[in-house]
Amino acid sequence: MKLITKSSLTFISASVLFFLVGSIIMYFSVRTIFSSNLNDILLEKKTNLEKQIEPDNVERFYSNDVFVIKINSHIPSSFSDTVIIENRKYVLYRKIDFSYFISDQYYKISVLEPQKKTDILVSKIVIMNVGLAFIFFLILFFVNRHSVNNTLKIFYRTISKLEQFNLNNNDELHLDSAQLFEIKKMNSVIQKMADTIRKDFELQKEYTENVSHELQTPLAVINSKVDELMQSDNLTKPQMEQLAILMETTNRLSKINQALIFLTKIDNRFYTKGSTFSVNQLLKEQLDLFEESIQQKNIKVTLNLLDTTHIYMDKYLAETMINNLVRNAISHNNGIKEINISIENNCFIISNSGDELTFPSDKILDRFSKSTTNKKSLGIGLSVVKSICDLYHFELSYSQDNFHTFIIKFK
Amino acid sequence: MDKKINVLLVEDEMELAVSTIRFLKENNFNCTHKSTIKLALKEIKNNSFHAALLDLGLPDGDGLSLIKEIKNKNQETGVIIVSAKDALNKKVEALELGADDYLTKPFFFPELNARIKSLVRRLNMEENKKIVLNELTLFPEEMKVLVHNKVVDLTSKEFSLLLYFISNQNRVLSKTILGEFMSSNYDDYGFSDDLVYTHIKNLKKKLASSDCTEYIKNVYGIGYKFLVD
Repeated sequence: MKLITKSSLTFISASVLFFLVGSIIMYFSVRTIFSSNLNDILLEKKTNLEKQIEPDNVERFYSNDVFVIKINSHIPSSFSDTVIIENRKYVLYRKIDFSYFISDQYYKISVLEPQKKTDILVSKIVIMNVGLAFIFFLILFFVNRHSVNNTLKIFYRTISKLEQFNLNNNDELHLDSAQLFEIKKMNSVIQKMADTIRKDFELQKEYTENVSHELQTPLAVINSKVDELMQSDNLTKPQMEQLAILMETTNRLSKINQALIFLTKIDNRFYTKGSTFSVNQLLKEQLDLFEESIQQKNIKVTLNLLDTTHIYMDKYLAETMINNLVRNAISHNNGIKEINISIENNCFIISNSGDELTFPSDKILDRFSKSTTNKKSLGIGLSVVKSICDLYHFELSYSQDNFHTFIIKFK
Repeated sequence: MDKKINVLLVEDEMELAVSTIRFLKENNFNCTHKSTIKLALKEIKNNSFHAALLDLGLPDGDGLSLIKEIKNKNQETGVIIVSAKDALNKKVEALELGADDYLTKPFFFPELNARIKSLVRRLNMEENKKIVLNELTLFPEEMKVLVHNKVVDLTSKEFSLLLYFISNQNRVLSKTILGEFMSSNYDDYGFSDDLVYTHIKNLKKKLASSDCTEYIKNVYGIGYKFLVD
């Protein structure tokens, strides 16, 4: 719910409640005022009557609005509302009852005053007042809405700038200066945060580069020394073999280092150049690269390309993604030696025959998880695929029955 | 290649420089080593080189700044950047500035050797269009090889493998080095042993069927050596 909607709703519900309770209270209080006014009139009539009453003319006062009844004792005078049926209509009257003692006889005299006119008046006054209040609230409502909207505009500008803020474009975050204290405070906090993040990001990038540089050079030194040693004529066979292992291991170390740097780069959103291309085309190109390996391992590849799916992403990352999956399917292929690849419903599906995993299947996308039998695998190719999929919000899933199946669901 | 090739090495990591110099000298290159940009600039002014190997992160600046100086002095000097930075934009920048090749650390010496030789061949085309070694004649441009003046039909991978062997003759080339040579990028890792074996087997078979001497020898099962007496 938007802030403006919420505040409007609160305003409206409070106003409705206020109108309801307010008009009821107002109706009754105005009515009380008018009743007391009527009481005054009745009292005056009573005084007039009392002045005119004489022993022989009591009954004569009996009329439409004066009732005279003989009673046995004194009653205190009192006001009340009463309803009289006139021409089959209920008509509301205000009434005063009092007793009068004359010629040894008590009379109860009731004087009536119609309330119809005052009732209409009360209603009119109440309606007018409520109407005025309603107009007042309406104006208040729109003024309030306008001012909240104005304030929110600055807020939305800040948000949209934050949305466009990208650490990889080298531009810094510049927020508008605001007059309102709260917005000003918010902008300054965000500004500070963005600056810190940017600094950290730069440091991290620098760190990644440094790691790369600082590790690769010593590795180059080791490689060169091992290669030199290897050329000596007087080495025994075991020494030669150890040197070969040393070179192999150094190479492996260097590959791990490069792979980690690559993963960090993906996670740091270093690759942001996007273009649109066909997954089918990409797959064909990558399969061509593996033609020899596929032939050599005698693997049967079945393609089932139902759709032509286009994706928008960094070309290099797309190639890496498909390449790693195909490579994985080839290098861990065993048994009946088959690979099935299909593209359908915006999905890329690749499955291969192979041995059962020697580790839990939910670990398959983790870094450095690999089967114990394949010593040459770095165990990082699939986590690279995972990182790339995460970057583009593609869904990557794995399932295992007779085949190992990976599915990428493109967005 | 009778004349010795003059190579300028600009590298600040001393141990690496020592090994590189030794390796280049063993392979009949003349090598001049400098460790800073300042010293290198002086050297470029005074001497002429066939090839220059430039490290990027030097104590007094970026090796990229030397490319222009070298090319201004002599357009035919081949420039190879040797860097620990495996970043695409760095490569593009270097190539745009005039570098001819880009090698990422850590590299293997045979690879460096092959690259320098290929670069020098490319830049001095009129002299070195072909490589002759006993009964073998190679035409790198056309990827053609003759044995006893008869064409042997090789695939492009087999041809580049043979060229690599000839560039690094009489050296032990381990499977790791050959695997790296055969695969293009790092994620080919652990994939190439069988391929290397297959390609070498095929290459040897084809050469043997043309009555070529068996130059490619197995070394204790750790690698191969192209042996020329």
